[in-house]
Amino acid sequence: MQILRETNLEGLKLAQKIGKEKVLKILEKKGLVGRGGAGFPIAKKWKLALDTKANERYLICNADEGEPGTFKDKFILKNNSETMIEGMLIACYVLEVKKAFIYLRGEYDYLREELEEKIKEVIGKSGMNVSIDIVRGAGAYICGEETAIMQSIMGYRGQAMYKPPYPTVSGLWGKPTVLNNVETLTNVPQALLYDDWNPNYRLFSISGDVNHPGVYEWELGVKMSTILDSVKPKEKLKAMSFGCFGGIMPVDIKAKISQDSICKENCQHGAYSIIFIGEKHNIVDINLSIAKFYTFESCGKCTPCREGTVRLLNILKKIRDGGCNDEDLEMLKELAQHIQDTSLCGLGQSCGNHILTGLKNFKEDYTRCLKK
Amino acid sequence: MDDKILLNILHEVQDKNGYLSEKNLKEISVKHQIPISRLYGVATFHTMFKIKKQGKYIIELCGSPSCLLNNAREIENFLEKELGIEIGDTTKDKMFSVYKTSCIGCCDEAPAMLVNGCPYTKLSVKRIKEILKELRKNANS
Repeated sequence: MQILRETNLEGLKLAQKIGKEKVLKILEKKGLVGRGGAGFPIAKKWKLALDTKANERYLICNADEGEPGTFKDKFILKNNSETMIEGMLIACYVLEVKKAFIYLRGEYDYLREELEEKIKEVIGKSGMNVSIDIVRGAGAYICGEETAIMQSIMGYRGQAMYKPPYPTVSGLWGKPTVLNNVETLTNVPQALLYDDWNPNYRLFSISGDVNHPGVYEWELGVKMSTILDSVKPKEKLKAMSFGCFGGIMPVDIKAKISQDSICKENCQHGAYSIIFIGEKHNIVDINLSIAKFYTFESCGKCTPCREGTVRLLNILKKIRDGGCNDEDLEMLKELAQHIQDTSLCGLGQSCGNHILTGLKNFKEDYTRCLKK
Repeated sequence: MDDKILLNILHEVQDKNGYLSEKNLKEISVKHQIPISRLYGVATFHTMFKIKKQGKYIIELCGSPSCLLNNAREIENFLEKELGIEIGDTTKDKMFSVYKTSCIGCCDEAPAMLVNGCPYTKLSVKRIKEILKELRKNANS
């Protein structure tokens, strides 16, 4: 796997030798983009922070992956955290950062002690005068959102804030702040150091009704048949859900997993988490499970998300219990769209996608539940 | 306030005390010069901070779709029956508190749960029985 290649501080040494301008040029030329889902070019983000005049800048490594069905950052933290820390040190060098943070989700607290050791070891070997502190998350999915994570680090409730200002202009304690996730930062030294580094490899978290769930590395555009050959479905598959916010679509053996092909079904690839769903399951149950997640994780700041997620859940429960008719389905669709259109942050803006795509692609599962 | 990270302060106190009591929050407030209202706000925002006394073991069952597809419901029903409590409650002997939580990132080894932060995966009714027996044994030794 490309992501497991070790760089043994050679990436950092190269960066220090060629200087920050050249590092940015190489990262731009090689096409390293963020792995959190939005795909923002890393060189562009770093430049934005550098262009903001300040006496201090901060770096946050976002290790708060909480999207249901996603566990690829945990895989890196367990298997190649040294390279991720080296990526952070390169970012610290380029951005002139003295103080960096790893926001480690509370559910991964059992990885903390080993990570602390690795941080000490890598910083010691590098000889750099920087600190990397672990911030211990405490079970709030919203803290993976860039403004909420900063609120949380600064000691407030992790609620999303209005943008602009963007973190690269005014982030932690009003200073320019760069946020990159675990997978992105691990790719930094690898992209710098290796000529054959491929920008199109992505980590896929595969789970659900398959015999070989786990973390896989494939190139964008990978054929569904290749994926299925590796993960071995337990039974005939009916659907695949892209995490929670990406939406649900039928499994098409001929399809290729690329942004274009997924978009046709109104889905988004997100962090490339695929939950395969077997034929015996009703999509209404899956939607209900995802709706519970959104209701539970809404930070409560904006009304559409705070109130809307509860209403969506209630309608879904009523549908599952056979108490609904066609009009309720229309209401569900309208409400889901309305919440997406009017919510403040990415959580609310995506919370209806699984329902909208579920209704579009698996209408028969819904109609089967309706009042006779 | 000083520059210590509040989440880490709260975790450290909870690690020692098992939960964040009113007394704990008052002490943190004085020591770090943070209004108690803000401490309470942050503590109650995060599901992993508890402001009420908990059982010796906090069980957090994963509620992700991946676990649901792998018989998590059966595990949930069995745990409730075996412990004689519902999700969100603590057993009378103060041994177990059981919660349902969002995805814990063990989808490739579903169904899964955390017990005091440690992951237990590939759960089955048989395995749950063994885990509970082991935990009870450890608590009494």
